Amino acid sequence: MNSLLSPTQQIPLQDLQPNGNSGTHQAQIHNPQFDPTSSHDDFLDQMLSTLPSCSWSDLKSPWDPPKSDETPPSNPDNNVGFHYDEILASKLRQHQINGGGGGTTAAMKMMMQQQMMLPGRPIAAAGGGGLTMPLHNDIVDGSSFKSPNQQVDVTSHYLNLVGRVPCKLCTTVSVLDLCMGLIISHRTSLSIFTILRHTFFSLLHFPQRITKTLNGLMIHIQLFTSILFIVQGGNMQTQSFGATAGTVMNQSQASGSTTGGAPAQPKQRVRARRGQATDPHSIAERLRRERIAERMKALQELVPNANKTDKASMLDEIIDYVKFLQLQVKVLSMSRLGGAAAVAPLVADMPSEGGDCVQTTAGGGGSLQRNSNGNQPSSNNDSLTVTEHQVAKLMEEDMGSAMQYLQGKGLCLMPISLATAISTATCHSRNPMINKGSSSNHPLLQSNGEGPSSPSMSVLTVQSATMGNGGLDGSAKDAASVSKP
Amino acid sequence: MNNPHHLNPTSLKSRFTTRFLRALTKIRAQKPISSSSPTEIFRRYRRIKVAADKSMAYSVRSRRIWSRAMLWKLRSRSYRRQDPCSGRRSGKTNQAIMKKSSNGNITRRREDGVGFVEEADELRQLVPGGETMNLCNLLDETAHYIKCLTTQVQVMKKIADFYSF
Repeated sequence: MNSLLSPTQQIPLQDLQPNGNSGTHQAQIHNPQFDPTSSHDDFLDQMLSTLPSCSWSDLKSPWDPPKSDETPPSNPDNNVGFHYDEILASKLRQHQINGGGGGTTAAMKMMMQQQMMLPGRPIAAAGGGGLTMPLHNDIVDGSSFKSPNQQVDVTSHYLNLVGRVPCKLCTTVSVLDLCMGLIISHRTSLSIFTILRHTFFSLLHFPQRITKTLNGLMIHIQLFTSILFIVQGGNMQTQSFGATAGTVMNQSQASGSTTGGAPAQPKQRVRARRGQATDPHSIAERLRRERIAERMKALQELVPNANKTDKASMLDEIIDYVKFLQLQVKVLSMSRLGGAAAVAPLVADMPSEGGDCVQTTAGGGGSLQRNSNGNQPSSNNDSLTVTEHQVAKLMEEDMGSAMQYLQGKGLCLMPISLATAISTATCHSRNPMINKGSSSNHPLLQSNGEGPSSPSMSVLTVQSATMGNGGLDGSAKDAASVSKP
Repeated sequence: MNNPHHLNPTSLKSRFTTRFLRALTKIRAQKPISSSSPTEIFRRYRRIKVAADKSMAYSVRSRRIWSRAMLWKLRSRSYRRQDPCSGRRSGKTNQAIMKKSSNGNITRRREDGVGFVEEADELRQLVPGGETMNLCNLLDETAHYIKCLTTQVQVMKKIADFYSF
């Protein structure tokens, strides 16, 4: 983890170290915490060293007097934490009073008194060494710090205090989550964030204390909240962090995602881990998108040819399918006009007179546009024969003109063999209808695009056949049946 | 001819079929088949199509937005035929009711960040009552509408089959 630090950032750390020259316990204070091997120490290392080195030199001066006034420690661990805490607390105090200048001895003494007034702290039996539980006295210290210049120092103090929190499962999580939020708001580097997280997880391995320290921890968090308020210099954060602290304590775990949203600066907004949305708006958006996706999937199953490459093309497919279905309904309803009788006798077989005979299949109804105009090229028998003769005449002259004439009428040529094949292929029972074709002159013809998929109507099949042919047939010499495209 | 598809008496298919057949018989009773002028035929075609849509909408009742829209359209159209003035009035009130029911969906600009605006608009034109839905509901309604349309087509095909044999 040290590699994450720039060399300049490590300097204040080293500045800190020589201050522990008073005794072995001082060394104990620093060494376990600065030991790069232990995870705690790494955490603290990073914390302290990435702070901008504003006034670490000032630390040296206030440290000497407190050392002399230390109460003899009853417990080495207690001492360690005590001293370190005291040192930083005093440093903060000093900065508060003097705005970054040298500290007064009076302030120092006050600080020391407060420190000494601490009742017996619960001692963390953590293996990391040097972890003690600060109590409410620290809160007093913290709340008195009012200077906005203490950004660095407060952070360091806060981090130090946090580092000494014993490892409770829930509370530690919450505290460190709060830490993360605070740290991020302090515009420290993201490496701290990752380190903090790492440390948090490592802290989980330690044995747990239970209720005794829980209260202290709660107060501790409130302290941090107030500190952050001071540092940020604004009111909003306090409230948000107060709320966060409250909720953090209430929740057992997994409050990390919410603290990410607590800091107000948009630059510092860190995407909460694992893709969780920090915004009610984005959550709603995501929900909406998911709903739309699942509806698209359901639609995909309904529509045939559902090779969903992407959503836009899928929507186009859906639109086409709906249009097609509506068209089918229209066509089918047109075909139904005859009712029980022959619906739309489109195939009117004239008796073939040999190979050169032209069979006319009259079709009516035509395209839907024509229908909507109310104009249907109705062909009864007379018109059929007329057309027939006309076509025959034209074909003698020129095939092209004949075809054009037919197309103008909305008819086309197809070989008889094909027409008969189709009409017989659909259903032999359709012959009666074919026979009746001439009598009832329903000029309706479905011009649907589905082709052979609707074999229920001989009309339709003839339709499809003609459409498949495209209305053109080179072998006009053979008997051709004229049918409407 | 057997109607093997009427297995479930309360399914959409059977409901639609019964209504549609009833409407068809009514239409057949009205006009003789012999009329073959184009306009007559066209009118009859229209009548049948309307009957098909109407019976479909009625079998769905008001459970769906599109069916409600279609029913309203049909009613307003029939009112308009009888009496132009009353049609306009009822049309207005109905439209007000429709707009009130889909409260606020119309006014909202539909650039909802999902990015299907053009296709969605086209779909809205296809599905009856689609203008008053947001994308989510629109897709839902489209799914049901497609299902109903396929049912309609199947039944009409079978009927045509039966009668044209």
